Amino acid sequence: MILVFASWLHKTQISVALQQQVSWLWPFCETLHFAGLALLLGVAGMFDLRLMGFMRSVPISVVKGFMPWAMAGFALNLLTGIVFIVSEPAQYFGNPTWWLKVAFLVVAGLNALVFETTLGQRAAALPVGVDTPVALKVIAVVSFLSWFGVLWAGRMLPFVGAGVGAGL
Amino acid sequence: MEEFLLRLQESDFGVWVSSAPTLLAYPTILMLHTVGLAMVVGPAAVLDLRLLGYGERLPVSALSGVFRVMWIGFAINASTGIALFISEADDKGLKWIFWVKLSAIALALIVTSRLRKAVFGGGDPDAAPPRAQGLAVWSLLLWFVAITSGRLMAYVK
Repeated sequence: MILVFASWLHKTQISVALQQQVSWLWPFCETLHFAGLALLLGVAGMFDLRLMGFMRSVPISVVKGFMPWAMAGFALNLLTGIVFIVSEPAQYFGNPTWWLKVAFLVVAGLNALVFETTLGQRAAALPVGVDTPVALKVIAVVSFLSWFGVLWAGRMLPFVGAGVGAGL
Repeated sequence: MEEFLLRLQESDFGVWVSSAPTLLAYPTILMLHTVGLAMVVGPAAVLDLRLLGYGERLPVSALSGVFRVMWIGFAINASTGIALFISEADDKGLKWIFWVKLSAIALALIVTSRLRKAVFGGGDPDAAPPRAQGLAVWSLLLWFVAITSGRLMAYVK
């Protein structure tokens, strides 16, 4: 079913256009994908560490002020990721490891949503120097681990589960 | 030179890294190389962008801890990088793009150490000298070149 969709997507104009693009488009997008991941994980990782209770002398609101850069990294990776998927859909939809990556992304996204809607305001108002509450630590650990999961699954794409949909 | 690279690649360790039938060999080492990349370039970018004027509510002095994260990341990437190099020494060692990558990293390290001295070398980090901004631009540029040339090693003959 999903491979039928992949096959259809592979034949759409946009996919064909991307496949016939200059040969450096793919490596270029890969490079941006790596730069984006450094920005996203570097910034979000520091925020997570702060929520876990490290670097207590820095106000949480201040570290949070850097999150737009993590969002920019995420946007860059979403965009370049879409280029990969639209160019070679079967390579991703047919690979269970890619679905694992998506699952980790969903966990990371939902976790961020929970943080924003429930504890975000209170966290930003926490005074410096005090330990963070357990709920914040849990959210930070879930975030840290799920982003690591995204990276792990992404890097394992060529090694685990690849080939199931290859050749489509 | 080529003979030496070939001997590295065909050493027990080189063969284990490149072809042991376990995810713990090449795939995990490559994955850790990506983790290290994020630990080096992410915090470096935060410090550089801050020095260039973004996020001014964040005191620069609060960022003195980024170097510790960067050093851990760098240690991970130096060791995983050496392992990856040994496993493909003959394929990668003679590629010009590999030397571009190593040069970019070497220069980025020099820039980082100068930046650290300029900003955290004793004076008030929040009154960093103007040359810190120039160094921040070089840092961003050189790490991007390092990432790009690293990625291109899979493509350039």
